[in-house]
Amino acid sequence: MPLHIIACVKQVPDPEAPASALKVDEAAKKVVPAPGVASVISQFDALAVEAALRVKDVIADAKITVVSMGPAEARDVIKHSLAMGGDEGVLLTDNAFDNGDSYTTALVLSKAIQKIGDFDLLLFGRQATDWDAGVVGYGVAELLGIPSVSIAKAVTVQDGKVVVERVLMEGYDTVEAPLPCAITVSNELGEPRYPKLQQIMQAARKQVSVWSAADLGLDASQVGAQGTRMVLERLYQPVSEVECEVMEGETPDEKAQKLAQRLRDEKVI
Amino acid sequence: MAPANEFPGNIFFYLIILGFGAFFALTVIMRLIPFFQAKRVSRLDHLPERVRDFFLVMMAQSKFFRRKYWYSGILHVFIFWGFMVLLIRSLNLLLDGVSGEISLQHLLGNVYTGWRPVMDLFNVLVIVGVSMGAFQRAFIKPERITINRDGWTIISLIFLLMVTDVLGNSLEIFLERGGKDYFSFFAFGVANLWDRVGLGVGTAEAAHTVFWFSHLVILFAFLDYLPYSKHSHVLTVAFNVFFRSSEPTGVLQPIDIEGIMERAEEGATFGVAKVTDFSWKQMLDFLTCTECGRCQSNCPAYLTQKELSPKAIQHAGRLALLANTPTMSSILRLSPSLPRTDGEPPRPIDTMGFDSIWDCVTCGSCQYWCPVMIEHVPTIMDVRRFLVMDEAQMPETAQAALMQIEQRGHPWRGTTFTRSDWMEGLEVSLFDGSQEYLLWVGCSGSLSERNVPITQALAKLLIQGGVSFGVLGEEEPCCGDPARRLGNEYLFQMQAQQAIEIMNAKGVKKILTACPHGYNVFRNEYKQFGGNFEVVHHSQLLAQLVKEGKLRPKQGEEQTIVYHDSCYLARHNDIADAPRQVLASLPRARVVEMERSRKTTFCCGAGGGHMWVEESKGQHINHARTEEAIGTGAGVVATACPFCIQMFEDGIPALEPDEEKRMRALDIAELLETAVAVKTEDMIGASDINLSMGGDEVAPSP
Repeated sequence: MPLHIIACVKQVPDPEAPASALKVDEAAKKVVPAPGVASVISQFDALAVEAALRVKDVIADAKITVVSMGPAEARDVIKHSLAMGGDEGVLLTDNAFDNGDSYTTALVLSKAIQKIGDFDLLLFGRQATDWDAGVVGYGVAELLGIPSVSIAKAVTVQDGKVVVERVLMEGYDTVEAPLPCAITVSNELGEPRYPKLQQIMQAARKQVSVWSAADLGLDASQVGAQGTRMVLERLYQPVSEVECEVMEGETPDEKAQKLAQRLRDEKVI
Repeated sequence: MAPANEFPGNIFFYLIILGFGAFFALTVIMRLIPFFQAKRVSRLDHLPERVRDFFLVMMAQSKFFRRKYWYSGILHVFIFWGFMVLLIRSLNLLLDGVSGEISLQHLLGNVYTGWRPVMDLFNVLVIVGVSMGAFQRAFIKPERITINRDGWTIISLIFLLMVTDVLGNSLEIFLERGGKDYFSFFAFGVANLWDRVGLGVGTAEAAHTVFWFSHLVILFAFLDYLPYSKHSHVLTVAFNVFFRSSEPTGVLQPIDIEGIMERAEEGATFGVAKVTDFSWKQMLDFLTCTECGRCQSNCPAYLTQKELSPKAIQHAGRLALLANTPTMSSILRLSPSLPRTDGEPPRPIDTMGFDSIWDCVTCGSCQYWCPVMIEHVPTIMDVRRFLVMDEAQMPETAQAALMQIEQRGHPWRGTTFTRSDWMEGLEVSLFDGSQEYLLWVGCSGSLSERNVPITQALAKLLIQGGVSFGVLGEEEPCCGDPARRLGNEYLFQMQAQQAIEIMNAKGVKKILTACPHGYNVFRNEYKQFGGNFEVVHHSQLLAQLVKEGKLRPKQGEEQTIVYHDSCYLARHNDIADAPRQVLASLPRARVVEMERSRKTTFCCGAGGGHMWVEESKGQHINHARTEEAIGTGAGVVATACPFCIQMFEDGIPALEPDEEKRMRALDIAELLETAVAVKTEDMIGASDINLSMGGDEVAPSP
């Protein structure tokens, strides 16, 4: 039985697009990217795929399925993940999925994972680089009733369990968990590998299944705009203003004293 | 008349010829085997130019008449022309050995006798040349040449050939076998010596036989030794010059990606994985390299203490090639030592090395200086393509740049500009087929902070000069050049095809660009994918507008400007006068030159994708060039390339911490715009533009 790893990836508008290219429609509470903004794979999700590949580098008898929930274009990020070395892809696309929240996303993904069946390891990016909520991975684990380990910088599978190095402020923890298990991956893992051209070309031939809400046994009321449990109050671009106050003084000592006093007044220190 | 005409001489004669001849023939056959396994390329185009260059470069030795290596130039011209001239003597020797009836002396009579003084003169010149060479190896020892036993063997063999020739000739004159040859001054002088010492006829005849046979043996030994020596160019250079690429030097050839995918099962690779993936011409290059080192001494990577030496690359190619060539037997051990191979022969990447392959900035200086027309850059790039596309092995910074182009459609990660921000406040319209030129702004021209003011200055000049042009705006893709230079041919082809499609759909016929890399790609490489456009560099158009009086530079402060030639403009595409004409038109500006200028310009360091790749070690190439520019004492360095100017903007503060004393770096468009002082109600001067969307800084005032 090959070790079955499922990596979940999300397609997002380029987080590095110039700020001027992303507009917020406050009335509709939506982000409107300018036409030129590219759609890319969420950075941490690419690392989730990389983590899966590193496990497969060691345990050759492993299979990696890449799953993404999104519009039809999200097929591109699945293809990219397959080019990196994933074996099969699953695209979950349905208008009913639109305008959901982290919960509905976790629900859809968990249903898809159950449909795929028999998995050993789930890998997610720690957060998506558009909304940065950072909870879907744990949500899926919860819905599936399996343990989860967060913010991994290294993932290895040994003797039927997973060993994870978790990032801490001052260093890292080493955590062991039984399989099946869900793990969220952080950028400390390193760089996602660059696919060889042959792999890119071959990715086109790999199987990508496309499932709708009905295929997952879900109806519109459970997902998307109807199923969301989060209420978005307001969406806006904060205006940042920088005021710079320069401390006056005859000597550096005097300026430093004044600065300290000023910070005290502002209750910073 | 020859000592070989009668027994036992004739036995020796035929034994020598057959023995050495067979050895030579076998060697050549073995050496040719990998050539038949190599990639096929056709080099039969432009035949008149090939014939012309054969005479110019090889027969007339044009590449040796450059001041930089004048000493070697003289000695080589002596030796080579001597070799050509004395071929007649060798031929005569062979024919005479068979029978006096068919010797050239007999058949051509006085014509041959008339040629003898010329050959005699060249006997002397070759000896002079060889002596100059020996002196160079023994005492001058320039760093570029390889001083080894092989080199000394060649020098000795040539010297001995000349000595036996002269002595044999002198004895023929002495014995009056050659007729009254008074005009072979040197040989005649030696003949007089024999007279003076009272040499007996018997001794003279014996001595003549000795020298005659010695010359024959040394001649054949030399021939047989050649393939095993770094001097093998003697046998290959005629072909190497004739079959050189007729395209401009900045051009790289496309790969048939689909075709290779189909043959992937058989082990086909996109780049060069094994030595037989090279073309026969590239293999010929390896065998033609004489290790003179001119390439190395002019390579910006080598000169800044990096791993890369173009000479070492050729040598490494030769090693890989020889490891894939059957050998007569390893007993002979005449060839330079081969790497020991247990099993698989070494691949080019093994002999050349990862760092060397990535150090190359594709400036083409190596090819400019190479006297035997070796094409170093495509060979390096073919291995780079293997590393990137087949192995996905590249420096992190290169990988990041390629990912940027793939995902974002441009290499400038972190830019806060959009492609149309620069247009704000300018009367620039989108290209709709009605305008004469498409102004291709480029990723650098629109997204890189330093280059936006240059694009704006150019646009203002074009408007002022009444030029009909339009832009693609947000629709403009990346031309793909960085992808190709970084080795990702697949990504390049996708970008190129996309760009060509867009341009053809809009009916673009003429492209105007301020970027030499874009110029090179559009003019010389897009035709590989069906994109045929007329391409103009902004320096050419600006020079023309000034000449026609449509732009009138009328104001300017006194300043000294040094012009830096971009490799892709001056060396690869022969554009060096136009930018200078623009600078010459600036009132009260004095233009100075660096020593390394025009075709010999020194790279700014950003070529070959290195705008985005960290240098491996050593001095920064751009610091070296900035140093040279500062050394002229000029207050301004002028460029005509978006990469070059960024390299100077980085190098200048690094070398001069005091802001007051710093040299300024400016594009010729910025300099001209200041002089023309474009000012209309609709246009805003560059110094007034506040790029509030793009950043907090105001554009530097020219």
